[in-house]
Amino acid sequence: MDATVKSSFTEHGAAAPSKSFVLWTPTAKTGLMSWLTTVDHKKIGFLYGVFALFFFLVGGVEALLIRLQLMVPNNTVLTAQQYNTMFTMHATTMIFLAVMPMGAAFFNFIMPLQIGARDVAFPRLNAFSLWTFVAGAIILNIGWFSPEGAPNGGWFGYAPLTSKEFIPLHSIDFWVLGLQLLGVASIAAALNFIVTIINLRAPGMTMMRLPVFTWMTLITSFLIVLSFPAITIALVELMMDRTFDTNFFEVSNGGMPILWQHLFWVFGHPEVYILILPAMGIVSEILPTFSRKPLFGYPIVVFSGASIGFLGFGVWSHHMFTTGMGTVATAAFAMATMAIAVPTGVKIFNWIGTLWGGHLKMRTPMMFALGFIWMFMIGGFSGVMHSAAPADAQQQDSYFVVAHFHYVLIGGSIFALLGGIHYWFPLMFGRQVSDFWGKLSFWVIFAGFNITFFPMHFLGLNGMPRRTFTYDTNMGWNTANFISTIGALILGVGIAVYFAVMVYTYFKGKKVGRDPWDARTLEWSLPNPPPEYNYAVIPTVHARDAFWYEKHHQEEIAKEKAEHAKAEDAHGGLHMPHQSIMPFIASVGVLIGAIGASYHHLIPALIGGVIMFIGIYLWSLEGADGYHLHLDADGKPVDDGHGKH
Amino acid sequence: MSLNSLLTTSARWSRAALALGSLALFAGCDLNFFKMDGPQSTIEVAGPVAREQLKVFYVTCWVTFVIFVIVASVLAYTTIKFKARTQAEEEAVPPEQGHGNPLIELGLIGASVLALVFIAVPTLKAIWYTYDVPEADKAHTYTVNATGYQWWFRFEYPNEQIDNVGPLVTANELVVPAGRPVHVNLRTNDVIHSFWIPKLAGKVDMIPNRGNSLWFKADAPGYFWGQCAEYCGDSHAVMRFRVIALEEKEFAAWLAHQKTAARDVAPAAATAKFASLQLKTDWKKNEYGYTGKLDANPLQAWRDKQQPETNEDPALIAQGRAKFKEHNCVTCHTIRGHDGVGTTAPNLTHIGARSTIAGGLLENNADQLARWISHPDVVKPGNHMYGGIGAMKGYVDKDKYGKVLKTNISLKPDEVVALVAYLQSLK
Repeated sequence: MDATVKSSFTEHGAAAPSKSFVLWTPTAKTGLMSWLTTVDHKKIGFLYGVFALFFFLVGGVEALLIRLQLMVPNNTVLTAQQYNTMFTMHATTMIFLAVMPMGAAFFNFIMPLQIGARDVAFPRLNAFSLWTFVAGAIILNIGWFSPEGAPNGGWFGYAPLTSKEFIPLHSIDFWVLGLQLLGVASIAAALNFIVTIINLRAPGMTMMRLPVFTWMTLITSFLIVLSFPAITIALVELMMDRTFDTNFFEVSNGGMPILWQHLFWVFGHPEVYILILPAMGIVSEILPTFSRKPLFGYPIVVFSGASIGFLGFGVWSHHMFTTGMGTVATAAFAMATMAIAVPTGVKIFNWIGTLWGGHLKMRTPMMFALGFIWMFMIGGFSGVMHSAAPADAQQQDSYFVVAHFHYVLIGGSIFALLGGIHYWFPLMFGRQVSDFWGKLSFWVIFAGFNITFFPMHFLGLNGMPRRTFTYDTNMGWNTANFISTIGALILGVGIAVYFAVMVYTYFKGKKVGRDPWDARTLEWSLPNPPPEYNYAVIPTVHARDAFWYEKHHQEEIAKEKAEHAKAEDAHGGLHMPHQSIMPFIASVGVLIGAIGASYHHLIPALIGGVIMFIGIYLWSLEGADGYHLHLDADGKPVDDGHGKH
Repeated sequence: MSLNSLLTTSARWSRAALALGSLALFAGCDLNFFKMDGPQSTIEVAGPVAREQLKVFYVTCWVTFVIFVIVASVLAYTTIKFKARTQAEEEAVPPEQGHGNPLIELGLIGASVLALVFIAVPTLKAIWYTYDVPEADKAHTYTVNATGYQWWFRFEYPNEQIDNVGPLVTANELVVPAGRPVHVNLRTNDVIHSFWIPKLAGKVDMIPNRGNSLWFKADAPGYFWGQCAEYCGDSHAVMRFRVIALEEKEFAAWLAHQKTAARDVAPAAATAKFASLQLKTDWKKNEYGYTGKLDANPLQAWRDKQQPETNEDPALIAQGRAKFKEHNCVTCHTIRGHDGVGTTAPNLTHIGARSTIAGGLLENNADQLARWISHPDVVKPGNHMYGGIGAMKGYVDKDKYGKVLKTNISLKPDEVVALVAYLQSLK
């Protein structure tokens, strides 16, 4: 069913240490239990990917419903309330349940391979992140199946609209608790990635030799760790207001709704970079591979990524240019926002520099990467337009903004992620997507995307506000809206083709050997799909683009590997972590507790908390031990009868 | 390319163009949307604030356009020139494995910073200009207070005091003097709204516990579309308003009339029987609520509304006034000089003289007024006239899921006609 099941390792379960019943160590390698107890970063990454793609499709259906409603003026496909729910859930789903977890899928699957590690630093915490993310996703969407309804306060949830006075239903509580859990999951995962990248790099993998994707993983993780606390605070305050009638945002008792906006955007703007930096990392891997030369200006690309991350914390109030901040504050945030265009532009220059003089192989991943540069450029330029605060006073909350951030998030993030799936598909599953069908889906997506979103620039400048379920026929918005909806349908077809091809390839695609793209980074040195232990011998890194170096210094590397293999075997073999059900149990507790809390019921909330506590307690009792593997000459584990440690 | 293939290609293109064209015809749309000349255009502006904002926008457009052309040309050239066209090219010895050129990179960073300075300078100037009325103009600035409600706007004229009442209050149509700076204090009664008149000024939010304001000036008399620009719940999309700018004399006359109490219709004024009018009742949900007359010349249509209707029926109007009391409209609405002291809903003292109703959603005529008061929940989802607000009861009592628990007000068709006649008479 998945990458690792296909690997030869799966038949060789390691014997479990015999401990008491509650500390049973699961060893299942196939079936449901293997998924619930897995700590393998590749399996976890795969699951993140599956959930992300599922929610990507859900969010896409929501988007199509929105576009159908706006296809013609005075339309009645959706009611006002349904429409408001739809745009709230479309945004929340795409940001938190599709693009972020898709990034997390790549972080999990690719990053440890790129740095030559056998797993992430805290494998069980990684599983806990995954299952808590799933719990958050469930709570966010639970309202669809309840009379309370799905959240409808906007993805930004501005106070005081989200207070009990204006939305008494629990739909807002689902949103609060759902986001809160996603925050827990994201922070735990981000800490894990930071520790992994700092501590588990292979020998010789200095920071300035890290693949750019890993660098962007690191920066994104720091952004998550630093920005999510702001929204966590905001959500806790909102939860207190709704559950215990506190007055953080309660206007009649002196609460300050503007506080919500500051807290939300202190998170919300770095969040934009959380969505785009992984995409930039992916593109920075694809372009060198398919140009057959190293990334142009590696240090500048890395440092510009870091400065984007840094400056990203100083521009949040450009989302608030219309809140009456006064001249000086507005000017300061306008200037800071312009400044962030510089490191962003630098990246584009460097990508073009990478192409310059290369031998460009126009395969599907390369098409998506080039499409990314073009679309991101357009989105970046309209971003610069927003930074000019007086102009933004007209554009804010109009369709111009909708056009802008879809160019950044679809033309940027999604294009890169779709390209990344094509790029790493052979590594993950040992099969390669047909280039014809891949390119076809790219062109349909590319055309549909532009037809959908380019006319929105005109709509916005012509005064069409966002988040409006209907518009009148005399406003001059009819044609552009009609074209936009046609484009959305084309985009939908493109996405459908893309996924149909992926599913087909997963089962019946052409099998390929190791390193089909003649790539440059370490993960491609592995057989595909990679074995559970990743590296039979931890590689030693001698240069940036480590695998490219290996390929051009084969003798030296072979000798070095043989020595290291001997040394490692003498230390007892490959150290592997045990599987565990405890992270899953803890997450189930979190889910139960959060559902209780979102209905303002104390007892189920406490029960959930207790289950979580038990899960974490037993998890800590399990200890950090694992087992050792010994490999034969073909890289297959040898069952030596004493796998335990 | 041979002549033959050129012909086939051009034939294919013209077929595609035809198909696209007929598609556009099918939708009944003009393809001039890039002109952006709608009633809420930010491009065809009518005042100095919006013009300043537009100027900054054009600067950003030109700077980014020039950069785009340069970068895009290089990118396109690079992609075409260095593309591997054959398998042999793909598998050729890899190019030189160079890692970049610091001089080029520093140069490009410098150029980007320089380009941003071109945007930054006019941006800073415009931030200060658009923030407040220039000193020279301050003396003859006209001040109004605007307050957002779910889902309508209340306008108060603090300098126009009415004896024993307080300042002049109106709703959803802001009448201002043309050629004079107007300072608008922005407040909200409930959630966050945003006050936006695209042709006159960019938006500023109405935020609880926050004293925001904006200013604008209309170059000439005119009729302008406004819209709430911050998501504020169910009917955000249809929370609209109008700004009517009048020359000084007409404005003064309008003010003087607004300060008078509600109009009484003398029996002698009767010329035709209103009751015989057939009001349209088969409205579809979200149906367009305007006649062509208002679109053709909105300012004239507004002026026409200042005159009494030609078909006033004093008996019916009197009946309507009684119904207005009987159905408790007076708890939320005020018709100064007649009945009501309510402040949670629009002041209706001169509702008959407004060009729109229902928060700028529908044209103010007998048909639309009947549609609005017969089925407010269909016209404006979630509105508080239907569902009530706080202790004030609306047409129905609802539970929090929107289920109707109890009907408080249900209007019979002849009651609707009487109410419409009455409200239309309030010039």
